[in-house]
Amino acid sequence: MRSAARAQTGGSPTAALRFSGVAKAFAGVQALTNVDFDVMGGEVHALLGENGAGKSTLMKILFGVYKPDAGEIFIDGVGTAAIADPRSALAMGIGLVSQEPSVVPQLDVAQNIFLGQRGALTLSNRRRLRDAARQILDTLAPALPETARVGDLGMADRQIVEIARTLARGGRVIAFDEPTSSLTPSERDGLFEIIRSLKRAGKAIVYISHRMSEIQTISDRVTVLRDGRVVAAGRTSDFTPGQLNNLIAGRTLAKELARQPRGKEATGGAEILRLEELSNDTIKGINLVLRRGEIFGLAGLVGSGRTELVRCVFGADPRTAGKIVIDGAPAKIDGPSEAMAAGVALIPEDRRGQSLVPLMTVEQNFGLANYHAFSRSGLVRGRARRREINRYIDELDIRPKRTDAQIRDLSGGNQQKVVIARWLHSGARVFLFDEPTRGIDVGAKAEIHDLLRRLSARGAAVLVISSELPELLALADEIGIMRDGRLTQILTNEPGLTEERLMKLASGELAA
Amino acid sequence: MTLPRAPSQADGRLADKAHHRGRPRVELARQAGVAIGCVGLFIVFSALTSTFYQPANLLDIMLQSSINAVIAVGMTLVVMTKGIDLSVGSIVGVSSMVAASVLPQGIWLGVGAGALVGLACGLLNGILIAKLRLPDFIVTLGTMSIFRGAALIYTDGKPIYGIDKVFRSIFAGQLLGIPTPVLLAAAIALLAYLLIRFASLGEQIVAVGGNEEAARLSGIDVDRVKVCVYALSGVLSSIAGFILVARIGAAEPIGGNGFELQAIGAAVIGGASLFGGEGNPLGSLVGALTLGAMRNGLTLLNVPSFWQFVATGVVVILAVLADQLTRKRR
Repeated sequence: MRSAARAQTGGSPTAALRFSGVAKAFAGVQALTNVDFDVMGGEVHALLGENGAGKSTLMKILFGVYKPDAGEIFIDGVGTAAIADPRSALAMGIGLVSQEPSVVPQLDVAQNIFLGQRGALTLSNRRRLRDAARQILDTLAPALPETARVGDLGMADRQIVEIARTLARGGRVIAFDEPTSSLTPSERDGLFEIIRSLKRAGKAIVYISHRMSEIQTISDRVTVLRDGRVVAAGRTSDFTPGQLNNLIAGRTLAKELARQPRGKEATGGAEILRLEELSNDTIKGINLVLRRGEIFGLAGLVGSGRTELVRCVFGADPRTAGKIVIDGAPAKIDGPSEAMAAGVALIPEDRRGQSLVPLMTVEQNFGLANYHAFSRSGLVRGRARRREINRYIDELDIRPKRTDAQIRDLSGGNQQKVVIARWLHSGARVFLFDEPTRGIDVGAKAEIHDLLRRLSARGAAVLVISSELPELLALADEIGIMRDGRLTQILTNEPGLTEERLMKLASGELAA
Repeated sequence: MTLPRAPSQADGRLADKAHHRGRPRVELARQAGVAIGCVGLFIVFSALTSTFYQPANLLDIMLQSSINAVIAVGMTLVVMTKGIDLSVGSIVGVSSMVAASVLPQGIWLGVGAGALVGLACGLLNGILIAKLRLPDFIVTLGTMSIFRGAALIYTDGKPIYGIDKVFRSIFAGQLLGIPTPVLLAAAIALLAYLLIRFASLGEQIVAVGGNEEAARLSGIDVDRVKVCVYALSGVLSSIAGFILVARIGAAEPIGGNGFELQAIGAAVIGGASLFGGEGNPLGSLVGALTLGAMRNGLTLLNVPSFWQFVATGVVVILAVLADQLTRKRR
């Protein structure tokens, strides 16, 4: 760490936070390149970008999780090469409010607010801490009791606890990382009220979101990151939402998100999969039909049970009631291998955690679901497997064109293609995609979309979960809304269907 | 409002290429570390004693290491699935007692009975871990005590003497001037290597250790893979028991006590990662030889055996530390 504290150059008032020329690479992949970014006290500065554009990396540098390779960070004009660790970040008054707040459910609100500070859990301090917590909460959420157990609170209140924790440390810079993804619209409005009051109190706010309407509502300035570089920065009012969207995504956006729903004509195919009153701990009474050649979109807030639904269909989670009917006959699916045998494939959201074995090659990862096809008397038929994966490498344009490349060295889009090839070869006819383009760059996104359309054109039934509503509107023939574990509505994707309407249905603000 | 130029795709691709060779280099560094350690050990002991480097002593080291090597091969397979088997030493004890007691009825009956006991012990471990989803550490710590107890109960704590000559010559004899335990260990390690390299079970072992959830969601029968590796570990432990009995000429219920640490050490030194998904049965041969050479050298230097326990523990912890340092950053 550079010891000499330097004053910021330039005549403008000192920014509460300023990144200057920050760069960061992971194992040779450049995550951030020469990033400049600053926030004044009393200002909301929005940070925009696709998943993987570098927003989270930048915030982790701010919070002391990563150390930048180059550049400087100025806090109130005092420069440093890196923030040592999250502890020092907190001590410097830097706070991070994430989509899933890091709170301890077993402790009460006051204890959580002062967690990590000396004496936070000491009994003798309880009265004093509760009084202090009360004072902070009075400015944020007067109705939230400081004695409530955090485990009993909803997501919005947990975020308030996290904000209060930052304020308890004197909070100067507060970063919000997609704070609204699990909030209802009214909770979101409450959060915005809090952000505005923080702003009035002179706090510097960094706001990360990919929801354009929120950016327009709450932010004073925007900075757009793409592939780890700043591609645009300026006052929010100087940009139209369309401009920002194009900046975030690059030029291909218009083509990629062109709506190509085929509406009713596509839903006329033969039924492949039918769910009857499917239920378990999370999902309740799901009825759903998937047909040949259809793309079915599934919308809903994080935590609404979308992932649990597809996991249940795939046999990865237990089912407590209901039936899964395949080709008109009830299927006994109690585990992934039975789902596979029935022609069902699940492509989970967390590629690294649930789809791939990072240490294995492209060929081996392709083969994971296909040992039945590629083994004879217990031995792997390597040559046959290489021939097949080579065919898919050409057909799906997987790069690099090498069967022996380590899967971890491929880009997100190419990894996803290998996973799709795996399931194509397994003979699946029902494809359950959970956030198929998460963490995949724009160009590859369009390719994945194209692939999904090709799958359905070949007669497969495709179900797509996505938090990006434009993606669903672009892809799906029908869109189902999930809320609190129920499939509350199924809509035909007609030109009149808007993102706003889907959003309201998903949050329950618009009754089904 | 500023609009800097769009980044070119080329930068990313270059970075990708640089990254491509990243991991093998780390692996190479690790293997080089093990090699340097071995050579260093050899040089130090050769300089300090006049006998260490003699061919007869080197053969002795191989012979002494062979029991551990056989167990370490099984341990490597278990560790590759991100598991651990602490009961191997007790399986050595119980299976050698049973084998020795049946031997008078016929050599192959004795061998079969002992191997069956090893298989049963391993299956029990595997089923408790895979089907009942109990933590491997606790299960095998528990069965370590159970199997040892069974070995003691079997003859009321008494050793069995008078082991059959032919049995002894099979498991502790010589073939073409090479001790049979050494040949046996080498053959077993080679077979296990071929299993990992060419069999679908081997690849599934790597997959389960590398990412159990991905393996499960790809329809791999994860439970079966786990039961298999613990069963193999059990059978290999019983074979190690045969060598032990043949060499000593008696079966003792406390035989194999403390073997688990030696085996884990050999597996890790040989390249098995406690993070799962990586390991090499041939490497565990090297690991066992390294530990064997160390004990042998310390004995030649007249270091009291109590200190050898300390040295073994230190080496094993250092090996695990090296594993952490080289593999954590994934």
